[in-house]
Amino acid sequence: MQLCDLTAHEIVERLRRGETSAEAVLDSVLARIAQVEGRAPRTAPYPPSAEEQAEDRRHVHAYISLQAERARERARSIDQARARDEALGPLAGVPLAVKDIFCVEGTPSTAASRMLEHFVAPYSATSVTRLEAAGAVVLGKVNLDEFTYGSSNESSAFQPPVGNPWDPSRVPGGSSGGSAAAVAAGEAVLSIGTDTAGSIRQPAAFCGVVGLKPTYGRVSRYGLIAFASSIDCVGPLTRDVTDSALMLGAMAGADPQDGTAASVPVPDYQAELEAGVRGMRIGLSPDYFRIQYPDAKTGELREQEIDPQVKAAVLDAAQRLAGAGAEIVENVPMPNTRYGIPAYFVVARVEAASNLHRYDGVKYGHRTARPMADLRAMYRASRGEAFGVQPKLRILMGMYVSAAQYEKHYYQRALRVRTLIRGDFEAAFDPAGLHRLDALLAATTPTTAFELGALYGDSVLMQYADLLTVPADHAGVPALSIPAGLDRGGMPIGIQFMARDFDEARLFRLGRAYEMSTAAEAWRSARPKVLGGG
Amino acid sequence: MAEWEAVIGLETHIQLSTESKIFCRCRADSWGQPPNTNICPVCCGLPGVLPVLNRGVVEKAVRLAAAVHATIAETSYFARKNYFYPDLPKGYQISQYDEPLARGGYFDLPLPGGATRRLTIQKLHLEEDAGKTKLAGGQRYVDMNRCGVPLVEMVTGPDLRSADEAAQYLIRLRQLLRWLETSEANMERAQLRCDANVSIRPAGAIHLNPKTEIKNVNSIEAVRDAIAKEIQRQVREVESGGQVEAWTLEWDEDAGMLRKMRAKETEGDYRYFREPDLLPIRLDEAWRTRLLATMPELPLERRARFVREYQLPEYDAEILTEERSLSEYFEAAARAYSGEAKRVSNWMMNDVLRLVREHPQQAGQPQTAALAGLTPAHLAEILTLVDSATVTLATGKALLEKVIATGTPPRAIVEREGLAQISGAGALEDICRQAIAENPEQATQYRAGKTTLLQWFVGQVMKKSRGKANPQETAHILEKLLVG
Repeated sequence: MQLCDLTAHEIVERLRRGETSAEAVLDSVLARIAQVEGRAPRTAPYPPSAEEQAEDRRHVHAYISLQAERARERARSIDQARARDEALGPLAGVPLAVKDIFCVEGTPSTAASRMLEHFVAPYSATSVTRLEAAGAVVLGKVNLDEFTYGSSNESSAFQPPVGNPWDPSRVPGGSSGGSAAAVAAGEAVLSIGTDTAGSIRQPAAFCGVVGLKPTYGRVSRYGLIAFASSIDCVGPLTRDVTDSALMLGAMAGADPQDGTAASVPVPDYQAELEAGVRGMRIGLSPDYFRIQYPDAKTGELREQEIDPQVKAAVLDAAQRLAGAGAEIVENVPMPNTRYGIPAYFVVARVEAASNLHRYDGVKYGHRTARPMADLRAMYRASRGEAFGVQPKLRILMGMYVSAAQYEKHYYQRALRVRTLIRGDFEAAFDPAGLHRLDALLAATTPTTAFELGALYGDSVLMQYADLLTVPADHAGVPALSIPAGLDRGGMPIGIQFMARDFDEARLFRLGRAYEMSTAAEAWRSARPKVLGGG
Repeated sequence: MAEWEAVIGLETHIQLSTESKIFCRCRADSWGQPPNTNICPVCCGLPGVLPVLNRGVVEKAVRLAAAVHATIAETSYFARKNYFYPDLPKGYQISQYDEPLARGGYFDLPLPGGATRRLTIQKLHLEEDAGKTKLAGGQRYVDMNRCGVPLVEMVTGPDLRSADEAAQYLIRLRQLLRWLETSEANMERAQLRCDANVSIRPAGAIHLNPKTEIKNVNSIEAVRDAIAKEIQRQVREVESGGQVEAWTLEWDEDAGMLRKMRAKETEGDYRYFREPDLLPIRLDEAWRTRLLATMPELPLERRARFVREYQLPEYDAEILTEERSLSEYFEAAARAYSGEAKRVSNWMMNDVLRLVREHPQQAGQPQTAALAGLTPAHLAEILTLVDSATVTLATGKALLEKVIATGTPPRAIVEREGLAQISGAGALEDICRQAIAENPEQATQYRAGKTTLLQWFVGQVMKKSRGKANPQETAHILEKLLVG
């Protein structure tokens, strides 16, 4: 066990007791990066030779850029503050990997796209500024799907793709795959990610870490390069629930630079973390034990059970929580879950296409090197050269479904579906309703991590990897994914809790209760393959 | 022409005179500033930034909406208008679309001859301005200073019937905007911009024919010229058997003519959708009440009241209500003065306004700023001094400038400088004798029958007394002395 394998709260505790220094923690993380990272991702053509590719599939490749010097300065200043007996922040000296979709002043902020390969942000995202104010040490920027458009990290312009630390020939999930992989492999202790359809929870589940999608508006989006502005949520990826609570506490709250950041007061998430689950009503829904998707050829709705090992983990968790005093409510209908992906397909693409308009080669970002006499030709060439296939698909689809003649059929209907999905949650959580749930328990993903290349290219099927996570995004409610064992192949399984708006404290209590009830399980001490486990 | 009737609607863009831009903290006005010096990551649309609504923008727009009797929406929304242009840094303009701030008002336009034309106001919505592009030497230059400047778009129905009426509307709108402190409304500075929709139809018809849209007109005169030219063109077109096509025309100020814009620049599907980065504007009862409680009386209402309450002629009331500070000044002076309000009006129109116009004015300042130390009470005091014959009319008028410059009460100046009118046999007679003694030639001529010289002698006495001599009495004494 190295310093870099500790949780944030353990590191802060040791720092406060003077048992270690921020610089020693940093050194430990940097050493781990040197050990498992492999060659740095580049925008050069990929794949390389078979030999190189085989080598790549033994490493993690989480970071697009490392800011080791910046981190060392920060770590030293924290150590100096400690030497002067100054109060330390709640995340003092804790190494943080920032998903490269956030602007951090003075660092390349690429969105994993050629478009922004050389863009250096002149300001920091509010969430990152707040984490730094709490003492976190930004190590660098981690990889993601280009502009967050994907669920496997394979669409990044920066290759080789991130490998899952538990088996680098498998995907880490996405789009916050670099974040989840870095935290799982000890290349960072914390990471900040974003969730639009499951982009925090799905990679957290695939990599065996804790991922929280807070309530929409709980954390400021200022400085987050937008995907679907009405859905994007900023949240933590951590090793345990306590760290998740710590990190959310440091980031959450109103922001004068984001009018959509809620002014709802931020509770002390630590205070009731271990208050238990006695009396809580926890729901299970049949609509989360299967996935429904349209057949690519016929359009007919097909249905498939989720992976039985994943289902078993959910049921086991329900049993453990019941043992801790919770009441399990079965057969809670969430009938609109099946429409989550199609509705998301439309809403997110309309917003994404619009959000990508600003990348036009005029002010910053990539501009074609070819001389252009015509403005429109310059736009086309710049955008054509710099956007990868995922942004292009999203622009095409987004423009199509928002065009005047189709907008009513697609966009307006998708917005109504969002309302219906929200209605499912409101009914389930209604204190005067039939089910009166405090939380819904479900699998985070239908399967564990798949092989690199297995789904890439099938953007419809890839999207269905998010079927169980996207409803919370549509509804805006908070959801917490936590590790819940390993499948027979040794890959992590994730389960998630969903709760009412701004009820993150309850999610943490549930997650912590589950952690305590499984503390003695063998899988808790399993190590990822890149660290010699498996 | 007699058998044709013009049908005109105006779409105005009004720059609100807030301190800062609509979604960031940059100054709203950057007139005269070098390009790209009043910008920030938010108005330049850098990755990851978010707009934050300036409440002052909503407040100004709500008061304007109330002034045109529009129905103010309890909840209105922002939308994105998507299109590509180099001076539109986000690739979309944040505007309002399907749920604007206000709809369905009217604007009463006084016409020459006393009639009034009631224009419908279809809607008012908020939006951000784009930047400016300039082509020079084969290069395209972009200035983003104007990006994010707050605008209200106000659209009238097709209710205007001539180029002159369109010009009148803009004059009255500008008056209202300045009155409410909504905008400085200077067209040359693009604080008030106007697009005109023009069509013609047989006089008396009620249907609407295809219209053309005229863009880029930046003075009231240009609006009048452009519309007049377009009406003539449409009449020629139709009378020669042609048809009016729905073109977009651009006014070329230098050439004084309209040019057809390329179709590429005008067509497009903007793919509007609700702006997810901004919450809806919710005007709760308390906010609305607070805003409307401080609404001033509007210019036309005040004009009517001045006629009614102060018995002013329409003409006086019109001039005194051209600008709000002036009307308030008049009213304060009229209240401080014990005589007839018409006398205050005369002084204001003859003398005070001349002084106002002589003083160079800062943009956006009320006209009465030029009057500096001359408070309405001071003006009333000067009138009282003249009425009571304490000073002569000439002294009274001279006092105006002295009080403007010093702010000293007029009575104090009169005492300190000995400006009280000279009358009575003693002092005045001495000056008259001197004047005659110094001008023996003129005296001889007078006595020889050239009696018109009496006024010349009065002038001499006035000069010697520095205007303090009572003119009637002076004439009387001179007449007596010259004869004798």
